[in-house]
Amino acid sequence: MKQDYIKFPLHLIFHPIDAFWDLKSDNRGRLAVAFSALMLTIIIMILQKQYAGFLVNYSDPRTLNSIQEILTIVVPFFLWCTANWAITTLMEGEGKFKEIVLATGYSLIPLILIYAPMIVISRFMVQEETAFYYLLTTIAFIWFVLLLFIGTMTVHQYTVIKTVITMVLTVIVMGIIIFLGALVFSMLQQLFEFGYNIYRELIFRT
Amino acid sequence: MARTVKRWLSLLAAVSLLLVNAMPAAASPAPYDSYNYNYWKEAVPSPDAYLPERTISGSDLGIGEFKDPGDINVSSSGQIYILDSGNSRIVVMDANYKLLRVIEGFMLDGSKEAFSVPSGLFVDEAEQIYIADTGNSRVVVLDAEGNLVHTITKPESDILATDFQFQPLKLTVDRVGRVYVVAQGVYEGIMQFDENGQFIGYVGTNKVERDYGEYIWRMFSTKAQRAQMVLFVPTEFSNADIDHKGFVYATNIDPGSNEPIKRLNPSGEDVLKRFGYYDVKGDIRFRNSTGPSKLIDVKVLGNGMYSVLDATQNRVFTYDDEGHLLYIYGGKGNQVGTLKTPVAIEQSGDHSLVLDRGKSNLVVYEPTRFGSTVNQAVALHYQGEDTEAVHLWKEVLKLNANYDIAYIGIGKSLLMEKKNEEALGYFELGMDRKSYSVAFKRHRREVMKENFGTFLTVAIVAVFVLILVRLAVKWKRRRQIDREAGLH
Repeated sequence: MKQDYIKFPLHLIFHPIDAFWDLKSDNRGRLAVAFSALMLTIIIMILQKQYAGFLVNYSDPRTLNSIQEILTIVVPFFLWCTANWAITTLMEGEGKFKEIVLATGYSLIPLILIYAPMIVISRFMVQEETAFYYLLTTIAFIWFVLLLFIGTMTVHQYTVIKTVITMVLTVIVMGIIIFLGALVFSMLQQLFEFGYNIYRELIFRT
Repeated sequence: MARTVKRWLSLLAAVSLLLVNAMPAAASPAPYDSYNYNYWKEAVPSPDAYLPERTISGSDLGIGEFKDPGDINVSSSGQIYILDSGNSRIVVMDANYKLLRVIEGFMLDGSKEAFSVPSGLFVDEAEQIYIADTGNSRVVVLDAEGNLVHTITKPESDILATDFQFQPLKLTVDRVGRVYVVAQGVYEGIMQFDENGQFIGYVGTNKVERDYGEYIWRMFSTKAQRAQMVLFVPTEFSNADIDHKGFVYATNIDPGSNEPIKRLNPSGEDVLKRFGYYDVKGDIRFRNSTGPSKLIDVKVLGNGMYSVLDATQNRVFTYDDEGHLLYIYGGKGNQVGTLKTPVAIEQSGDHSLVLDRGKSNLVVYEPTRFGSTVNQAVALHYQGEDTEAVHLWKEVLKLNANYDIAYIGIGKSLLMEKKNEEALGYFELGMDRKSYSVAFKRHRREVMKENFGTFLTVAIVAVFVLILVRLAVKWKRRRQIDREAGLH
């Protein structure tokens, strides 16, 4: 229990190359952990906007919206997983969809581990010290990207260059999916409106 | 902290509502909506800082209507000089708007000379009148009685082109008699003349705004195409004024510039403080109105404050010495108090005068309780009397609880009195992160000093307990191993 849910994720963020391989081959990954990481990231992001110290917190309190926060993290997360899965299927990636979700979710852990204490510490910082806040949050983000990179590489058994190409393509595909989604949505809306107009014409024509 | 302050203020507001005698509920008497920008760059309604009091036209003075009046100046003795460009005359009034005299021209070498489309006017401390006589390409200097002192004509200098046309538009004069002239078609800056009318050189230049997109586009164009394109030339200044320290305030009408107001030091560098939340450039957002502000006149009010006149929306913006926008008044329209084509702004006592060419009259604005309280508080802050400014700032907050500068002002005074914790709340309300940081640093040090003993005790005890726990765990584990080995 403790082994899989706490020790392994912590081991993974420090030894990603070994651990991602264990995650794939030994079936060490747990979807529960990946989703918990996602949920914690959302909570941390909301808390950060609300409670980070005044000197580093530039968000307008009137515009804070938790549902929007949830969407801005959950939607890109699943969009990334879907786009990555779509691309790697064509590019002979060995990863299953579940493994992609696992790798992405586990990669979020450093974000949580660094952001959470930084929210508290930022409340005791003065202007000169906020540099550390920005440094550490940047490190957290770079760490996250690095883990995502190694995770993708390991899960799909890619070379470095192929991983980079895949990641860039994934981002492009994310854009395409959004575009198609918006297109379909607007088409459906127009179709509905057309149908509704015909219905009205028929109803009012007596 | 911040919340407590805000709660107290809202309580105060509620109580004051109960205590105030029910005044007849009237809409704002101003013909314009007053607003100010908050930290998030939103235009929020604000109490009126200035209200129109009266207008003065030529017929009010009994001298026939003004025709295209061009400039106005108030001398240090309080006399009001209006340059009536269309009628080529100068109208002089006293501080109560009573006509004193009209200057139609002057005597030069025994013959009577008149002005030709003059557009700028300045009166110095010795009541000498400087007139930018644009049509005659000269600056005329008259004494108080209207006798000619000297003229400044087209300067002879190596740095001027031979076909240079000297067309002075606006001018200002410093204490030692140096004349700063904004001339037409001069991009090099403000022309500076010494007290004898000798050309010294230029001060202050507007930097060319580079548009890199245009720059790249230019690289791909042919020579013929390039010749058709707009040239990148610096913009001209539109007006100038001088403060008592001898710094020249100048405005330009470059629509793309974020620094249309400049404060030039004697060597011509821009030293205007821009510590506000946003650029010092009039309107910063224009969703419902057109374009950026076109600043055509500037008036130094004293105590670091200055007003600029915007010809796009016909409004007056007043800033303090640190670049905070204090208040905005005026607007487009045909009523008393709104402006058609404003050309110049002046100050007479605590009143503000705006010359309207479109309506050929002078609009007199009077500060409201809000406006004058803000002015006084800013003045006290500028003079370093922050403690005395506090009760004025509190008065301002009663009139406008959204006035961020007042929160910062109170905070700074508290900081001075070493009440760091109280100051934190005010700085947070005023969104002043820099001062907040200073207050917090002091507060943190105080708390640390007070609690260092307790902190250290707790830390030592914690370390001790930790060591004990580790020992206990080790001991327990060893016992277990021993037991498994069957030693017990």
